[in-house]
Amino acid sequence: MSETRFKTLRDVPLEEYLAPGNPLCAGCGATPVLRMFLKALEGRAVFVNAAGCFTLLHVYPYTPFKSSWMYTAFASAPAGAQGIRDALDILIEKGKIQPEEDIKVVCFTGDGAAYDIGLQSTSGAIERGLDFYYLVYDNEAYSNTGFQKSGATPYAASTATTLPTKLQREGHTGSKKDLFEIWRSHKPPYVATIAPSHIVDMLRKIESASKYRGPKLFISFTPCPTGWYHDTSESIRISKLAVECGVWPLKEAIYGEVKHTYTPRVLKPVEEYLKTQGRYKHLFHPQRQEHVIKAIQENIYQYWRRVAETEKLDIIIPSV
Amino acid sequence: MANSQINSFILYLKIRAKAYIYKTRHPSFGCGVWSPMLKIRFHGRGGQGVKTSSRILGRAAFLDGFVAQDSPIYGAERRGAPVISFTRISKTPITERGFIFDPDIVIVMDETLLNDWLARPLDGVKKGGAVFVNAQPGFPPPEGHDDKFFITYDLTGRALEILGKPIISSPSAAAAAKITGLITKSSVLEATADELAELDLKDELLEKNIQLAAEVYDAIPSPVINTEESGSITREISPLDYEPVTYEEVIHLDIANLGNSALRRTGNWRIFKPVVDPEKCTGCMVCIIYCPDSCITLNENNKAVIDYDNCKGCMICLRECPLRAISSVREVRVYA
Repeated sequence: MSETRFKTLRDVPLEEYLAPGNPLCAGCGATPVLRMFLKALEGRAVFVNAAGCFTLLHVYPYTPFKSSWMYTAFASAPAGAQGIRDALDILIEKGKIQPEEDIKVVCFTGDGAAYDIGLQSTSGAIERGLDFYYLVYDNEAYSNTGFQKSGATPYAASTATTLPTKLQREGHTGSKKDLFEIWRSHKPPYVATIAPSHIVDMLRKIESASKYRGPKLFISFTPCPTGWYHDTSESIRISKLAVECGVWPLKEAIYGEVKHTYTPRVLKPVEEYLKTQGRYKHLFHPQRQEHVIKAIQENIYQYWRRVAETEKLDIIIPSV
Repeated sequence: MANSQINSFILYLKIRAKAYIYKTRHPSFGCGVWSPMLKIRFHGRGGQGVKTSSRILGRAAFLDGFVAQDSPIYGAERRGAPVISFTRISKTPITERGFIFDPDIVIVMDETLLNDWLARPLDGVKKGGAVFVNAQPGFPPPEGHDDKFFITYDLTGRALEILGKPIISSPSAAAAAKITGLITKSSVLEATADELAELDLKDELLEKNIQLAAEVYDAIPSPVINTEESGSITREISPLDYEPVTYEEVIHLDIANLGNSALRRTGNWRIFKPVVDPEKCTGCMVCIIYCPDSCITLNENNKAVIDYDNCKGCMICLRECPLRAISSVREVRVYA
């Protein structure tokens, strides 16, 4: 990442590739990521969209895109991308389009498709070395259908299917799948986590990924005002807090080698992050569930202790 | 005439006959409402509490000894998009299901919906029916609907004052209940408490909701709805004659225009609008970058300009502006 055209927010391209007026929720945390993605790719892309919130970007007869868009079933976005990539390759080989006219193939899926339903087809696409981009907008549940639990739902979050009850007062009892590690174990050229609040970091990652041929995968943190029960104006602030509290580490892995691109100097207590969202309300109200908060905090500290050790980072981690 | 049509026509006659018998036996039923059933349709935007208000009304009617039915319908869109819900109130069991095409009462929870070609809240309202519009004082009733009662009240304004949130489920239900002329205040308040308690509201907020519902119930007049004349469905069904469409015409449609979503005008979704103070704005681009809807651009003087046609009013720009150059102003519109 030595040579980059993105150094500050002023380097963000002004050219707009996503028209206003899409029917997603006000304050959606995914659309800033999508906009930046399009800016970084300079709009020269064809999109493959698995079922999810982004399906609604394109409700007939309106579209916010200025390029092509294909809609696939939940499980098959990478398969759709494979078909488009092959078609483009054949057209180039036959000389029907010039290599410099080539466009990029980009998959957009939500966490439901990426973590659960489409996991195997993505695994297959990475294994085949398909040259494509994959962007997951991870809002930690199936929010398009009413916020049911997905494989990405973190411990203690309340969703439509993991409501806190008398017997299970903490809400969701399982923990979030580590999709980054699942994908990294395939050793693809590029895997990274991004967050809508850290735009320069995101643009740099997309830029450095474009140097590689093969699967380029991005997992984006996505605050969801509708499902997380926070004010629409808080989306970016929550994303910032998630990074500062260490909940959402910003990292990249090139051919399986992990590097953290942003490390908070001092980890903020996770409580600050949890308190911003209604889906964690049951941890504080009516009674404070100290052991649950402590468990979440300890999990984060454990992660960062390991990172500090392996990457020789200077992070101040308080002892619990 | 197809067999099913004959059947449904016979059923219709039966219902009318039954209703007539009912009317003659119970002249006091419905305070002058001649109908086997009172149909109420709520129009609002996702997040306003449209579904909850129809539930509150249904429960209140049930508490008063009526048979009630309520159901919402959503499109393939979300918060901010038009939502409809239905309540049917009757003294006898309700056999009708589905959409209400010919409501006696329509509750419009967002005035901008009156001009929305997809929501069309005034479609099919019976002659002599009542239309409630949540609008600020001085709202002119729409033209061509002189045969209906128009009642307005600034629910959003009161909700913002009392609850601090633009959620108007309980006051809309209270307004609808008062307009029916059938449902008592105590039932409305009890239903509000029951329904909102199911949603796990804090006690403090619950009390404020009840206060607001009581206030609205008292403030709304109770018009005598007389929808007797129309009787059957008054909705105009457009005839099915069409001309063949050519390929060229199809291609000229919006589908061929890329990035045409700006025509949707999602600006109608917002209740507060962000306003940039050009004195303070330095053109630092932070709002432009974080705007989820690409609604902010820089003008020739290097100041942020907001596209109010499509800004949904999420206020991320206000929150993120490092110079606090953006303020929030209550939106005042008539049929935007």
